[in-house]
Amino acid sequence: MRWRSLRGNRQLDKVLDYYEPVVGENAISQLRQLARDLQGARVVHVNSTRVGGGVAEILGWLVPLMEDLGLDTSWEIVEGAPEFYQITKSFLKALQGNKVPLTRRMLDTYEKTSEENAERLRPTLEDADFVFIHDPQPAALFDLCPNRKGIWVWRCHIDVSHPNRKYWTYLRSRVSQYHASIFSMPEFAQSLPHPQFLIAPSIDPLSQKNCELVDGEVSSTLMHLGIPSDLPILTQISRFDRFKDPVGVIEAFDLLGQSTPARLVLAGGGATDDPEGAAVLKEVRDAANGNGRIHILELPSDAHRTINALQRASTLVIQKSTKEGFGLTVTEALWKSKPVIGGNVGGIRQQVHNHHTGYLVNSPQGAALRVQELLRNPVRIRQIGERATKFVKENYLLNRHLREYLTLMLGVRRGLTNHLMTN
Amino acid sequence: MSIRTEKTNMPFFMKDCALIARMAGIDTAINLREMRERLLHCPIESIFHHFCETVIRPTFDDPEYRNDFAIWAARDLQDRVLAEQLGIINPYSFHDLEEVRRCVIDIIDDRLSEVTYIPWVKMDNDFRFMRAVTVVFDAGKQFELPEDLVAALPEMSLSSVYYHYVEARRRTENHKDDFTVWLSGFGSGTEGLIEALGCIDFYFMSLPELKACLVRAVAQFKGEPAIG
Repeated sequence: MRWRSLRGNRQLDKVLDYYEPVVGENAISQLRQLARDLQGARVVHVNSTRVGGGVAEILGWLVPLMEDLGLDTSWEIVEGAPEFYQITKSFLKALQGNKVPLTRRMLDTYEKTSEENAERLRPTLEDADFVFIHDPQPAALFDLCPNRKGIWVWRCHIDVSHPNRKYWTYLRSRVSQYHASIFSMPEFAQSLPHPQFLIAPSIDPLSQKNCELVDGEVSSTLMHLGIPSDLPILTQISRFDRFKDPVGVIEAFDLLGQSTPARLVLAGGGATDDPEGAAVLKEVRDAANGNGRIHILELPSDAHRTINALQRASTLVIQKSTKEGFGLTVTEALWKSKPVIGGNVGGIRQQVHNHHTGYLVNSPQGAALRVQELLRNPVRIRQIGERATKFVKENYLLNRHLREYLTLMLGVRRGLTNHLMTN
Repeated sequence: MSIRTEKTNMPFFMKDCALIARMAGIDTAINLREMRERLLHCPIESIFHHFCETVIRPTFDDPEYRNDFAIWAARDLQDRVLAEQLGIINPYSFHDLEEVRRCVIDIIDDRLSEVTYIPWVKMDNDFRFMRAVTVVFDAGKQFELPEDLVAALPEMSLSSVYYHYVEARRRTENHKDDFTVWLSGFGSGTEGLIEALGCIDFYFMSLPELKACLVRAVAQFKGEPAIG
């Protein structure tokens, strides 16, 4: 159990206690005060899996922390046959703008599986004070729970800024009747006939991907991966996807030339079940052209500690995307005091502020220029790194995320006046 | 320096606040002319949000400009002149937010009459109007005397400082901060402290800067030298 091991022998009663040294007493006190008016409220989160993926990661801390604050919180999942998961995968791809066919048979399977899940979950959901439905997979449950008494919120974690219209039209008909929805960024919000809230993602500072590592772990990870620590390390952690522009990163690295010796690490998930990923990975290998200073790593999806070590081993982190959602890999790097050289797109623009937390770039040349500039100025790297950690601490840790959930719950329950006082 | 007051007063109940942003429910603006049209009709809470709540929502502490309209002009319209003209607006120097709205529209009208084309932004960089819901809650602390305020300030959360010192101007008579209103209830004896609190030009500061400035400004009333 992660919570048990963090403070040696000291037993702490609440999960929140473990976060207090990281986020500060005021931040924890705020959460407790905000939650006072929600004591005993029955809250149910519904998604499609307990393991793997960003939503499961978020619910993994959100549910225990809400319970800790006195909310009666549970986490339910929708289940189905493999065909159901194939269809919901199509939904995710299509809603993020990909061309995916949608057939009546797919919708029939989706609706039938939703009905089966509603049979099982109906008593819990209809009785809850707040129901948070995460992403499209469980979205149909609203219509299937006619005696619901609480507030239902659809939480959209994905970028639906340019959805496949056919899929969106169908999903819109399912989520329009919710009391509210939540999007991660204003750019992702779609027109809906109810209030649309904005809650940016966050990172868990105590998770395997972000916690402090034990002495020697960073160097042993590098050794294990066959990366010498003789030169500054530049890292981009991303799946092998054209929108992440890994080939552009190699182009930038090649532009550094002999005057700025460094190593480049491109680490991403394995591309075995993703034909496009495999094609991009091949392009990346071709672009690297056997350069011994370019390290291309295919990591398993649970290699959180390895990614943590790679980010900590890096002098600079690159995220040269040409299209990006929020960009949590940027948040993770900033938290570890690494200046980020990021593409001037999406949520990277919210996080990378020129000269303060890193640099926004628009081309391989721009990336190469900023890498050169920073590698010649270690003092600047340290200063930017310090600011970066502070920036994430104040804005993108899970306490802010939880605070916004509580604020939303209070706000929606009280009818959304602009300014409301709790008791 | 001790504070001798004319009379006693009610305790000061410390509050805190949390904010959640929401879409304002109006169309986005993809060029400067659309921005002008949207500004005419957007809810006044949107003007407040984009000018005044920028410090309290998740944000970078040291942005180039304090309001979202100026940031959009600089970053997305790439019109530095307009950005500077909008960036200098201090909403707290206006009588009310409708005046701020009129001022922004006037500036945009002037700019539209100067340029030879309608400045526009790339797809996805359109301006999205937002507003927010603010929940105010008891911070669980109260104090009785003016000296207690001086001692309490360094421990206050930034959102509490925002609520009592910044946001208060929107809801108090004469647009005063909560500390000043409370200190005035003691009658004579608190004028120095009120003056110290009142002379801070806070709008262009981040909340950490404002808090540090407040702590420094009132430190003399604790009888201790200011630090930092």
